[in-house]
Amino acid sequence: MSAINVDRLSHVYSGTEGGVPALQDITIDVDAGKFVVIVGPSGCGKTSLLMMLAGLRHQTRGAITVAGKRIADPDPERVGVVFQEASLFPWLSALDNIEFPLALRGTPRDDRRRRAEQMLTLVGLEGFGARYPHELSGGMKQRVSIARGLVQDPPVLLMDEPFAALDEQTRMTMGHELLRIWSTTRKTVVFITHSLTEAVYLADEVLVMSARPGRIIDRIEITLPRPRTYEMMATDTFGRLRERIWQQIRKTE
Amino acid sequence: MTQAQVVLARLALLGLVLAAWQFLPRWGVVDARLLPALGDVLAMLGQLLGRSQVHEAIAVTAAEVAVAFVIAVPLGAAIGVLAAENDYFGQIFKPMLFYVFSVPKSIFLPMFILIFGIGFEQKVAYAAFSTIFIVIMSATAAVESVKSDHVLVARSCGATRTQILLRIYVPSMMPVLLETLRISMIFNFTGVMIAEMYASRTGIGHLIANWGENFQMPQLFAGVILLAAVAILFNEVVRHLEVRVSAWRT
Ligand SMILES: Nc1ncnc2c1ncn2[C@@H]1O[C@H](COP(=O)(O)OP(=O)(O)O)[C@@H](O)[C@H]1O
Ligand SMILES: [Mg+2]
Repeated sequence: MSAINVDRLSHVYSGTEGGVPALQDITIDVDAGKFVVIVGPSGCGKTSLLMMLAGLRHQTRGAITVAGKRIADPDPERVGVVFQEASLFPWLSALDNIEFPLALRGTPRDDRRRRAEQMLTLVGLEGFGARYPHELSGGMKQRVSIARGLVQDPPVLLMDEPFAALDEQTRMTMGHELLRIWSTTRKTVVFITHSLTEAVYLADEVLVMSARPGRIIDRIEITLPRPRTYEMMATDTFGRLRERIWQQIRKTE
Repeated sequence: MTQAQVVLARLALLGLVLAAWQFLPRWGVVDARLLPALGDVLAMLGQLLGRSQVHEAIAVTAAEVAVAFVIAVPLGAAIGVLAAENDYFGQIFKPMLFYVFSVPKSIFLPMFILIFGIGFEQKVAYAAFSTIFIVIMSATAAVESVKSDHVLVARSCGATRTQILLRIYVPSMMPVLLETLRISMIFNFTGVMIAEMYASRTGIGHLIANWGENFQMPQLFAGVILLAAVAILFNEVVRHLEVRVSAWRT
């Protein structure tokens, strides 16, 4: 069953001289439980597409269906979102940040706390709930963001370059951690990144987008077995897949 | 330096200043008619606080400060938020607000006297006028300190407009707003004092101006101590709150 369906989506940002075509004729179908990574040059419309998947922005044309229903507005029960760094609320503790979506819906305090504690354990931050964002490292902050995205147990998790601001080592660890979390929760994930290594390491399928206006120009199945290990990065298969994505991206520039 | 050493050094400095104030006039190093000894000033303060004339003056000044504050802060905050949130209003009014903000407000005082006379209304109007610009500027800055990323996160979690206002705007703006409250009180208090000293028949500012003109130095200094104490107290209370709500701003 498909968890996400994007049907001939196009988007034009209104502006000078008839507007900026940002996305053109995007069609995507993602099966439930899959990990899909989107790569493409800066400004090709990856963030715009993700916003539309989350119901945060309205496309000019085309339809988006998630879990069998059209997306028109944000629906945290269907779609959780993890943004780029620094999206935690600095005035709330880690636990309160995770509880935030539940607090909006008026979930009783005890339920909220229990659920948030579970999420904190899931992302490997047991005991850090009382800390404020400025007391957490970059990697820990993104763990809290993931926990917040998952707290309402949506079938789909969208992630926009969540590890872009982290140093290389932390980034690798976080990728690995994300796969662990994903394998226990079995969400459908759409993950945007600039890093080709990260793309190959994480994905079931990589979608390559062209420069503006963004189109899907290639779909690459990542056949590496799971669970993924760091050692796989040194294999020929890994190198070939990475090279193929790189060739596609280069063509678009 | 450790924290304790800093505190100790500060206390030592304060003690030194107070001791100098007490003993230099006593020893005749400075003219006691110009700078009466601290002890004499405090004794005078005690006496003044027992006089009904002083009580009335305090009541008048306090009322003026309070009314001007209650007018200037909400009105200024509303205009400031509007200027930040509404593009048309912002583009049209912001430059003018910035220009007027840079002009010393005291040059408008004679106009306020012509319009309102020299009573309660004039002092309140002038104090509110001299305060409102800093409130507008700060409120604009407060709105602009709200991160659009945070609003986006809240929307993705399904927040309504009211929830975004209460759960994102209010906490984001709180540190700046408290700072605004504190700074606007300084402007407000200054406005009332200038108006009372310039042309008035009531209020603490009027008494202080009189004492100065009549060369009543103990009274003058007692008045200064009283006002300084009130101003510092308010400032410190709000600053304390500020530190508590902005612990996360680091
Ligand atoms: N709100 C907006 N208004 C107008 N143009 C925008 C807006 N957001 C993005 N764009 C433009 O659309 C294009 C795609 O942006 P974006 O989705 O952020 O790309 P990416 O995430 O792939 O870097 C860019 O050229 C950008 O300038
Ligand atoms: Mg982007």
